[in-house]
Amino acid sequence: MRPEDGHAELERRMRAAFAPERRPAADPLRERFAAQLLEAAAHPDEVPIEIDGRRLIARRGSTVLAAAMKNGIRLMHVCGARKLCATCRVKVTAGAQYLSPMSAQERLSLRAHLSVSSRTRLGCQARIEGPIGAETVFPLCGDLPGPGQDPAPDRSPDRGAGGLEESR
Amino acid sequence: MSRARKHARPWRDTASAREPDETGLRERLKHGERAAAGEFYDACAPRIARFIAQALGGFNTPQDTEDLMQETFISMAEAIPFFRGESTLLTFACAIAHRKVQSFLRTGARRARIAETYYPPAAPRPATPAATGDLARALGALEPGYRAILHLKYVEDFSVTEIAAIRGESGHAVESRLARARRALKKLMEK
Repeated sequence: MRPEDGHAELERRMRAAFAPERRPAADPLRERFAAQLLEAAAHPDEVPIEIDGRRLIARRGSTVLAAAMKNGIRLMHVCGARKLCATCRVKVTAGAQYLSPMSAQERLSLRAHLSVSSRTRLGCQARIEGPIGAETVFPLCGDLPGPGQDPAPDRSPDRGAGGLEESR
Repeated sequence: MSRARKHARPWRDTASAREPDETGLRERLKHGERAAAGEFYDACAPRIARFIAQALGGFNTPQDTEDLMQETFISMAEAIPFFRGESTLLTFACAIAHRKVQSFLRTGARRARIAETYYPPAAPRPATPAATGDLARALGALEPGYRAILHLKYVEDFSVTEIAAIRGESGHAVESRLARARRALKKLMEK
Protein backbone atom coordinates (compact mmCIF):
# COMPACT_ATOMS: atom_id res chain seq x y z
CA MET A 1 0.00 0.00 0.00
CA ARG A 2 1.33 3.42 -0.89
CA PRO A 3 1.59 5.84 2.02
CA GLU A 4 -0.63 8.30 0.12
CA ASP A 5 -3.57 5.87 0.14
CA GLY A 6 -4.13 6.35 3.85
CA HIS A 7 -4.68 10.07 3.25
CA ALA A 8 -7.18 9.73 0.41
CA GLU A 9 -10.11 10.41 2.70
CA LEU A 10 -8.50 13.59 4.04
CA GLU A 11 -7.72 14.68 0.49
CA ARG A 12 -11.30 14.05 -0.66
CA ARG A 13 -12.81 15.98 2.24
CA MET A 14 -10.44 18.92 1.92
CA ARG A 15 -11.02 19.24 -1.82
CA ALA A 16 -14.77 19.12 -1.29
CA ALA A 17 -14.53 21.86 1.33
CA PHE A 18 -12.65 24.42 -0.74
CA ALA A 19 -14.02 25.59 -4.06
CA PRO A 20 -11.86 28.02 -6.08
CA GLU A 21 -12.63 31.64 -5.23
CA ARG A 22 -14.96 33.31 -7.72
CA ARG A 23 -13.47 36.27 -9.56
CA PRO A 24 -15.70 39.12 -10.76
CA ALA A 25 -16.81 38.92 -14.42
CA ALA A 26 -15.12 42.22 -15.36
CA ASP A 27 -12.00 41.89 -13.24
CA PRO A 28 -9.86 45.08 -13.34
CA LEU A 29 -6.86 43.08 -12.10
CA ARG A 30 -6.97 40.98 -15.29
CA GLU A 31 -6.45 44.11 -17.40
CA ARG A 32 -3.82 45.48 -15.04
CA PHE A 33 -1.89 42.22 -15.17
CA ALA A 34 -1.91 42.28 -18.99
CA ALA A 35 -0.78 45.92 -19.08
CA GLN A 36 2.02 45.30 -16.56
CA LEU A 37 3.17 42.27 -18.52
CA LEU A 38 3.38 44.32 -21.71
CA GLU A 39 5.31 47.02 -19.86
CA ALA A 40 7.79 44.46 -18.46
CA ALA A 41 8.26 42.85 -21.88
CA ALA A 42 9.02 46.28 -23.40
CA HIS A 43 11.90 46.89 -20.97
CA PRO A 44 13.73 43.56 -20.68
CA ASP A 45 16.87 45.16 -19.19
CA GLU A 46 15.06 46.73 -16.26
CA VAL A 47 14.82 44.50 -13.23
CA PRO A 48 12.54 45.30 -10.28
CA ILE A 49 14.35 44.66 -7.00
CA GLU A 50 13.62 45.35 -3.35
CA ILE A 51 16.22 46.49 -0.81
CA ASP A 52 15.12 47.00 2.79
CA GLY A 53 11.51 47.05 1.59
CA ARG A 54 12.17 49.80 -0.99
CA ARG A 55 11.24 48.94 -4.56
CA LEU A 56 13.90 49.95 -7.08
CA ILE A 57 14.61 49.43 -10.75
CA ALA A 58 18.05 48.02 -11.52
CA ARG A 59 19.73 47.35 -14.83
CA ARG A 60 20.21 43.68 -15.62
CA GLY A 61 23.85 42.75 -15.02
CA SER A 62 24.61 45.53 -12.55
CA THR A 63 25.82 44.69 -9.05
CA VAL A 64 23.57 45.02 -6.01
CA LEU A 65 25.89 47.72 -4.69
CA ALA A 66 25.70 49.75 -7.92
CA ALA A 67 21.90 49.42 -8.08
CA ALA A 68 21.52 50.47 -4.46
CA MET A 69 23.87 53.46 -4.76
CA LYS A 70 22.21 54.61 -7.97
CA ASN A 71 18.85 54.62 -6.21
CA GLY A 72 20.07 56.52 -3.17
CA ILE A 73 20.59 53.57 -0.79
CA ARG A 74 24.13 54.26 0.35
CA LEU A 75 25.47 50.79 1.11
CA MET A 76 28.75 50.90 2.98
CA HIS A 77 31.74 49.70 0.89
CA VAL A 78 34.87 50.61 2.78
CA CYS A 79 37.33 48.77 0.49
CA GLY A 80 35.92 50.29 -2.70
CA ALA A 81 34.28 47.10 -3.98
CA ARG A 82 37.46 45.00 -3.93
CA LYS A 83 36.04 42.02 -2.00
CA LEU A 84 38.10 42.86 1.07
CA CYS A 85 35.90 44.41 3.74
CA ALA A 86 32.51 42.68 3.29
CA THR A 87 30.76 45.80 4.61
CA CYS A 88 28.56 45.86 1.52
CA ARG A 89 27.13 42.44 2.28
CA VAL A 90 23.40 41.93 2.05
CA LYS A 91 21.05 39.19 3.18
CA VAL A 92 19.12 37.89 0.17
CA THR A 93 15.50 37.35 1.14
CA ALA A 94 14.07 36.39 -2.25
CA GLY A 95 15.27 35.42 -5.72
CA ALA A 96 18.75 34.16 -4.76
CA GLN A 97 18.75 32.16 -8.01
CA TYR A 98 18.65 35.43 -9.96
CA LEU A 99 22.07 36.54 -8.70
CA SER A 100 25.34 35.60 -10.41
CA PRO A 101 27.03 32.53 -8.88
CA MET A 102 29.29 33.15 -5.90
CA SER A 103 32.98 33.18 -6.82
CA ALA A 104 35.65 31.52 -4.67
CA GLN A 105 37.07 34.92 -3.74
CA GLU A 106 33.67 36.19 -2.63
CA ARG A 107 33.13 33.08 -0.50
CA LEU A 108 36.59 33.48 1.01
CA SER A 109 35.93 37.12 1.84
CA LEU A 110 32.59 36.30 3.51
CA ARG A 111 34.11 33.46 5.53
CA ALA A 112 37.03 35.66 6.56
CA HIS A 113 34.45 38.03 8.01
CA LEU A 114 32.68 35.18 9.82
CA SER A 115 29.64 35.36 7.58
CA VAL A 116 28.63 31.77 6.93
CA SER A 117 24.95 32.22 6.07
CA SER A 118 24.19 30.79 2.65
CA ARG A 119 21.86 33.72 2.02
CA THR A 120 24.52 36.40 2.46
CA ARG A 121 26.22 37.90 -0.61
CA LEU A 122 28.68 40.68 -1.21
CA GLY A 123 26.78 43.58 -2.74
CA CYS A 124 29.82 44.55 -4.82
CA GLN A 125 30.11 41.10 -6.43
CA ALA A 126 26.57 39.75 -6.82
CA ARG A 127 25.20 40.70 -10.23
CA ILE A 128 21.47 41.03 -10.74
CA GLU A 129 19.92 38.78 -13.38
CA GLY A 130 16.31 38.95 -12.18
CA PRO A 131 14.01 40.22 -9.43
CA ILE A 132 15.50 39.86 -5.96
CA GLY A 133 14.79 41.01 -2.42
CA ALA A 134 17.62 41.90 -0.05
CA GLU A 135 18.21 43.44 3.35
CA THR A 136 21.27 45.42 4.31
CA VAL A 137 23.42 44.03 7.11
CA PHE A 138 25.58 47.02 8.03
CA PRO A 139 24.21 50.51 8.72
CA LEU A 140 24.08 52.67 5.62
CA CYS A 141 26.62 55.44 5.04
CA GLY A 142 25.24 58.46 6.82
CA ASP A 143 23.48 56.36 9.48
CA LEU A 144 26.65 56.18 11.58
CA PRO A 145 27.09 58.94 14.16
CA GLY A 146 29.68 61.58 13.41
CA PRO A 147 32.17 62.97 15.95
CA GLY A 148 30.33 64.37 18.94
CA GLN A 149 26.97 62.80 17.95
CA ASP A 150 24.92 60.37 20.01
CA PRO A 151 26.41 56.90 19.38
CA ALA A 152 23.16 55.07 20.26
CA PRO A 153 22.39 52.60 17.47
CA ASP A 154 19.16 52.76 15.50
CA ARG A 155 16.86 50.23 17.14
CA SER A 156 13.80 50.83 15.03
CA PRO A 157 12.05 47.57 14.05
CA ASP A 158 12.80 48.08 10.37
CA ARG A 159 16.56 48.14 10.84
CA GLY A 160 16.88 45.34 13.37
CA ALA A 161 19.01 45.54 16.50
CA GLY A 162 21.56 48.12 15.47
CA GLY A 163 21.54 46.77 11.91
CA LEU A 164 24.66 44.72 12.62
CA GLU A 165 23.18 41.36 13.45
CA GLU A 166 23.02 38.73 10.80
CA SER A 167 20.85 35.67 11.07
CA ARG A 168 21.70 32.37 9.46
CA MET B 1 8.40 10.26 -7.04
CA SER B 2 5.87 7.47 -6.66
CA ARG B 3 2.90 9.78 -6.59
CA ALA B 4 -0.52 8.37 -7.36
CA ARG B 5 -1.01 10.67 -10.35
CA LYS B 6 -1.03 7.87 -12.91
CA HIS B 7 -4.28 6.50 -11.50
CA ALA B 8 -7.33 7.96 -13.17
CA ARG B 9 -9.25 10.26 -10.86
CA PRO B 10 -11.57 12.37 -12.99
CA TRP B 11 -12.32 14.83 -10.22
CA ARG B 12 -8.68 15.79 -9.87
CA ASP B 13 -7.05 18.68 -11.69
CA THR B 14 -3.49 17.46 -11.41
CA ALA B 15 -0.27 19.33 -12.10
CA SER B 16 0.50 17.00 -15.00
CA ALA B 17 -2.87 17.83 -16.55
CA ARG B 18 -1.99 21.53 -16.37
CA GLU B 19 1.38 21.17 -18.07
CA PRO B 20 0.94 20.35 -21.78
CA ASP B 21 1.00 23.86 -23.24
CA GLU B 22 3.05 25.38 -20.45
CA THR B 23 6.14 26.19 -22.55
CA GLY B 24 4.15 27.92 -25.26
CA LEU B 25 2.18 29.94 -22.73
CA ARG B 26 5.37 30.91 -20.90
CA GLU B 27 6.97 32.24 -24.08
CA ARG B 28 3.83 34.14 -25.02
CA LEU B 29 3.69 35.68 -21.55
CA LYS B 30 7.35 36.70 -21.84
CA HIS B 31 6.48 38.58 -25.02
CA GLY B 32 3.71 40.39 -23.19
CA GLU B 33 0.84 38.91 -25.22
CA ARG B 34 -2.49 40.18 -23.94
CA ALA B 35 -4.34 36.99 -24.88
CA ALA B 36 -1.80 34.85 -23.02
CA ALA B 37 -2.14 37.08 -19.95
CA GLY B 38 -5.91 36.61 -20.03
CA GLU B 39 -5.56 32.87 -20.52
CA PHE B 40 -3.18 32.51 -17.61
CA TYR B 41 -5.22 34.80 -15.40
CA ASP B 42 -8.50 32.98 -16.06
CA ALA B 43 -6.92 29.61 -15.35
CA CYS B 44 -4.94 30.51 -12.24
CA ALA B 45 -6.51 33.54 -10.52
CA PRO B 46 -9.35 31.64 -8.78
CA ARG B 47 -6.90 29.07 -7.40
CA ILE B 48 -4.38 31.67 -6.28
CA ALA B 49 -7.17 33.64 -4.60
CA ARG B 50 -8.25 30.46 -2.80
CA PHE B 51 -4.66 29.76 -1.75
CA ILE B 52 -4.21 33.31 -0.42
CA ALA B 53 -7.54 33.26 1.44
CA GLN B 54 -6.66 29.93 3.02
CA ALA B 55 -3.07 30.89 3.88
CA LEU B 56 -4.29 34.08 5.56
CA GLY B 57 -6.57 32.01 7.79
CA GLY B 58 -7.92 33.99 10.74
CA PHE B 59 -6.49 37.24 9.34
CA ASN B 60 -8.60 36.86 6.23
CA THR B 61 -10.88 39.62 5.03
CA PRO B 62 -11.96 39.89 1.38
CA GLN B 63 -10.06 43.18 1.11
CA ASP B 64 -6.84 41.56 2.37
CA THR B 65 -7.18 38.76 -0.16
CA GLU B 66 -7.81 41.25 -2.94
CA ASP B 67 -4.82 43.40 -1.94
CA LEU B 68 -2.54 40.39 -1.91
CA MET B 69 -3.94 39.20 -5.25
CA GLN B 70 -3.03 42.58 -6.75
CA GLU B 71 0.48 42.47 -5.29
CA THR B 72 0.99 38.88 -6.44
CA PHE B 73 -0.08 39.45 -10.03
CA ILE B 74 1.84 42.71 -10.41
CA SER B 75 5.00 41.06 -9.06
CA MET B 76 4.35 38.07 -11.30
CA ALA B 77 4.09 40.32 -14.37
CA GLU B 78 7.37 41.99 -13.44
CA ALA B 79 9.12 38.67 -12.83
CA ILE B 80 7.91 36.65 -15.83
CA PRO B 81 10.58 37.97 -18.25
CA PHE B 82 13.19 36.44 -15.92
CA PHE B 83 11.36 33.17 -15.26
CA ARG B 84 13.51 30.26 -16.47
CA GLY B 85 10.81 27.62 -16.42
CA GLU B 86 12.24 25.56 -13.55
CA SER B 87 8.69 25.02 -12.29
CA THR B 88 5.17 25.38 -13.64
CA LEU B 89 3.68 28.85 -13.92
CA LEU B 90 1.16 28.04 -11.20
CA THR B 91 3.95 26.97 -8.83
CA PHE B 92 5.81 30.16 -9.66
CA ALA B 93 2.71 32.27 -8.95
CA CYS B 94 2.01 30.40 -5.71
CA ALA B 95 5.62 30.98 -4.58
CA ILE B 96 5.14 34.72 -5.08
CA ALA B 97 1.77 34.60 -3.31
CA HIS B 98 3.33 32.65 -0.43
CA ARG B 99 6.00 35.33 0.06
CA LYS B 100 3.39 38.09 -0.07
CA VAL B 101 1.24 36.29 2.51
CA GLN B 102 4.20 35.71 4.83
CA SER B 103 5.16 39.36 4.60
CA PHE B 104 1.54 40.39 5.25
CA LEU B 105 1.26 38.08 8.27
CA ARG B 106 4.48 39.44 9.75
CA THR B 107 3.21 43.00 9.37
CA GLY B 108 -0.23 41.95 10.65
CA ALA B 109 1.27 40.33 13.73
CA ARG B 110 3.17 43.54 14.46
CA ARG B 111 0.00 45.59 13.99
CA ALA B 112 -1.94 43.21 16.25
CA ARG B 113 0.65 43.56 19.01
CA ILE B 114 0.31 47.34 18.83
CA ALA B 115 -3.51 47.19 18.66
CA GLU B 116 -3.71 44.89 21.68
CA THR B 117 -2.12 47.62 23.74
CA TYR B 118 -5.05 49.92 22.97
CA TYR B 119 -8.05 47.70 22.15
CA PRO B 120 -9.34 44.41 23.56
CA PRO B 121 -8.59 41.50 21.20
CA ALA B 122 -11.44 40.76 18.77
CA ALA B 123 -12.77 37.23 18.25
CA PRO B 124 -10.91 35.62 15.33
CA ARG B 125 -12.81 35.09 12.12
CA PRO B 126 -13.49 31.49 11.11
CA ALA B 127 -10.48 30.42 9.07
CA THR B 128 -12.39 28.23 6.65
CA PRO B 129 -15.90 29.51 6.10
CA ALA B 130 -16.46 27.08 3.24
CA ALA B 131 -15.62 23.98 5.21
CA THR B 132 -18.13 22.42 7.56
CA GLY B 133 -18.23 20.17 10.61
CA ASP B 134 -15.28 18.73 12.48
CA LEU B 135 -12.88 19.37 9.58
CA ALA B 136 -13.69 23.09 9.61
CA ARG B 137 -13.28 23.28 13.37
CA ALA B 138 -9.99 21.40 13.30
CA LEU B 139 -8.59 23.40 10.36
CA GLY B 140 -9.63 26.63 12.06
CA ALA B 141 -7.71 25.64 15.17
CA LEU B 142 -4.67 24.43 13.23
CA GLU B 143 -1.45 26.44 13.15
CA PRO B 144 -1.45 28.62 9.97
CA GLY B 145 1.74 27.02 8.63
CA TYR B 146 0.27 23.53 8.91
CA ARG B 147 -3.03 24.64 7.38
CA ALA B 148 -1.23 26.20 4.39
CA ILE B 149 0.88 23.12 3.70
CA LEU B 150 -2.12 20.77 3.92
CA HIS B 151 -3.96 23.07 1.54
CA LEU B 152 -1.11 23.01 -0.99
CA LYS B 153 -0.87 19.24 -0.81
CA TYR B 154 -4.50 18.13 -0.73
CA VAL B 155 -6.50 20.97 -2.27
CA GLU B 156 -4.10 22.41 -4.82
CA ASP B 157 -2.59 18.95 -5.46
CA PHE B 158 1.04 20.04 -5.57
CA SER B 159 3.79 17.45 -5.21
CA VAL B 160 6.29 17.64 -2.35
CA THR B 161 8.91 19.02 -4.77
CA GLU B 162 6.54 21.75 -5.91
CA ILE B 163 5.62 22.65 -2.31
CA ALA B 164 9.34 22.81 -1.49
CA ALA B 165 9.83 25.26 -4.39
CA ILE B 166 6.89 27.38 -3.24
CA ARG B 167 7.99 27.55 0.37
CA GLY B 168 11.73 27.72 -0.27
CA GLU B 169 12.38 24.63 1.84
CA SER B 170 13.93 21.23 1.20
CA GLY B 171 11.80 18.26 0.23
CA HIS B 172 12.63 16.53 3.51
CA ALA B 173 11.51 19.56 5.50
CA VAL B 174 8.22 19.62 3.59
CA GLU B 175 7.64 15.89 4.13
CA SER B 176 8.21 16.07 7.85
CA ARG B 177 6.11 19.23 8.15
CA LEU B 178 3.30 17.50 6.24
CA ALA B 179 3.46 14.52 8.58
CA ARG B 180 3.31 16.81 11.63
CA ALA B 181 0.42 18.76 10.09
CA ARG B 182 -1.57 15.57 9.45
CA ARG B 183 -0.94 14.38 13.01
CA ALA B 184 -2.00 17.75 14.43
CA LEU B 185 -5.16 17.81 12.29
CA LYS B 186 -6.08 14.25 13.27
CA LYS B 187 -5.58 15.08 16.94
CA LEU B 188 -7.80 18.16 16.64
CA MET B 189 -10.51 16.21 14.80
CA GLU B 190 -10.58 13.57 17.51
CA LYS B 191 -11.08 16.12 20.29
